[in-house]
Amino acid sequence: MTVSPVEITTAGVANLLRRPALFGLLPAIVAVVTLLVVPLAATFWLSLSPNVLIKFTGPGLGNYGYLFGKPYYVGVLLRTLNLSFMATLGALLIGYPAAWALKVLSSRFGGTVVIGLTFPILAGPLVVVLGWMILLSDGGPLFGPLVRWGIIGRPHLLGTQTAIVIGLVQFTLPFVILTIYSVLKQIPDDLIEAARSLGAGGAQIFVRVIWPLSLPGVVSATLIAFSLAASAYVSPHYLGGETQQTLTTLVGEFILATYNSQMAAAVAIVLLAVMAIVILIFTTLTARLVR
Amino acid sequence: MSPSRVASRMFLGLVVLFVVGPAAMVIVDSFNGATSFPSPFQSATLHWYVDLVHHDEFVASMRVSGIVAVLAATCATALGFFAGYALIRYQLPGRNAIQTFLLGPLLVPQIVIGLAELQLFSLWGVELNLGVLVAAHTVYVMPFALRVIMASLARFDFTLEEAAYSLGAGRLRTLRHVTLPLLGSGLIGAFVFAFILSFVNLPLSLFLTNARSTTLPIMMFAYMESRIDPLIAAVASVVVIAAIATTLLLERVFRLRLLG
Repeated sequence: MTVSPVEITTAGVANLLRRPALFGLLPAIVAVVTLLVVPLAATFWLSLSPNVLIKFTGPGLGNYGYLFGKPYYVGVLLRTLNLSFMATLGALLIGYPAAWALKVLSSRFGGTVVIGLTFPILAGPLVVVLGWMILLSDGGPLFGPLVRWGIIGRPHLLGTQTAIVIGLVQFTLPFVILTIYSVLKQIPDDLIEAARSLGAGGAQIFVRVIWPLSLPGVVSATLIAFSLAASAYVSPHYLGGETQQTLTTLVGEFILATYNSQMAAAVAIVLLAVMAIVILIFTTLTARLVR
Repeated sequence: MSPSRVASRMFLGLVVLFVVGPAAMVIVDSFNGATSFPSPFQSATLHWYVDLVHHDEFVASMRVSGIVAVLAATCATALGFFAGYALIRYQLPGRNAIQTFLLGPLLVPQIVIGLAELQLFSLWGVELNLGVLVAAHTVYVMPFALRVIMASLARFDFTLEEAAYSLGAGRLRTLRHVTLPLLGSGLIGAFVFAFILSFVNLPLSLFLTNARSTTLPIMMFAYMESRIDPLIAAVASVVVIAAIATTLLLERVFRLRLLG
């Protein structure tokens, strides 16, 4: 007996309307719609609205025009992208070997490592950034002694992009390690043993067996790291300061300092669009690798 | 132990040091007797903690954060439980799409969520208050609660519910005496995770607080705009120590891992 698509759909709808399933899903869906989807739509609308502060009588793209017309704001956009890419790259370069080490060791030591990695997420970004402000300061415990003994000059790291990248790498690293680890964990040891018994050396095993099998993990870790880095507010605000603005801190400034909410909305939409475009390009490029 | 294992351990140790170091540094500096910040360690003192206890605004903001986090985590756990149950138990059409949609708040930068909700509430003419903050925090921590709950539901044996029904228990009695107790640790884990993420959150609350609904991170933010001294390190240490305690509690008592 063949089932027509219409029947499948009606069956599906009937299934959806089974009371308990609907009862269960509806509150959460309503919450996300009212507290995320509708507000984002309102923000988009606001970004197209007239803005006395820049003498834009709209509605239209005037707020965006103003934004992209100023080299400073274009610079902020490029800086956000640059920082996010650098942080992602750094987190992957440290995170991949760390995930591999975690797989090799596993057991109790591994458990302790995972607790350690989870910890800064629970302590919150503000506390962690405060720690970086202590560590990276010129007189801090990291550079202080070296400066005093005359081994290095004052590094002046705080307020630079390097400081932000360090903060972002540390912030995203736990997610990257655990994402890649969850994929590496599934590679059976037998497979590696088989490759070895067939005469493959260490490098060959990595390139031909482990790396291809771990690619899905690397791809999702990249996406997570990039999104987290581009979304970060606390690290750029404190480690970069006013000279190193990113799109997130710019949104903050437009609301907290100048109360230009149309402009804040436009920056927020640009941030979302840029993230979506980068993620889309990346997933398209890697679609073949992950399959 | 082979040399490669030793090397692996050392590398992982360094990575963990890199990840945990900054927060540890904050604790050390909270005992620093120096008055400017950051500055080299001078003498050990509990001065900053005494100051903290007498700093009414910080104490009040901790209370606000606690209230917001409890309410948001409760709402998020309830929403996450009902939604997770429906997603795992029933073969719904478009199950993956619904799941992705509910995890959506994870993809949007928190500062953008905060801005968007500021617009919404001002459109509605709602004044900023604790309720606004709870609503915003709920929608942000819900995906985390949902993920933890779905993981524990995936291991749940639904035939136990059938057994209860066939023994004459109604839906509510089954929920109370069978389903909820068996999911206990997953629900507690979801609640605690949601609580902490709400408690330490800054960007989401940035635009949504007023003088009476100032959370601890917002209070720290405001304080740090004007000056930075070891008092702020003492505040942060309290948060860090609470986070350590929670992590260990979850790991040892409830055998829960929040990630991985």
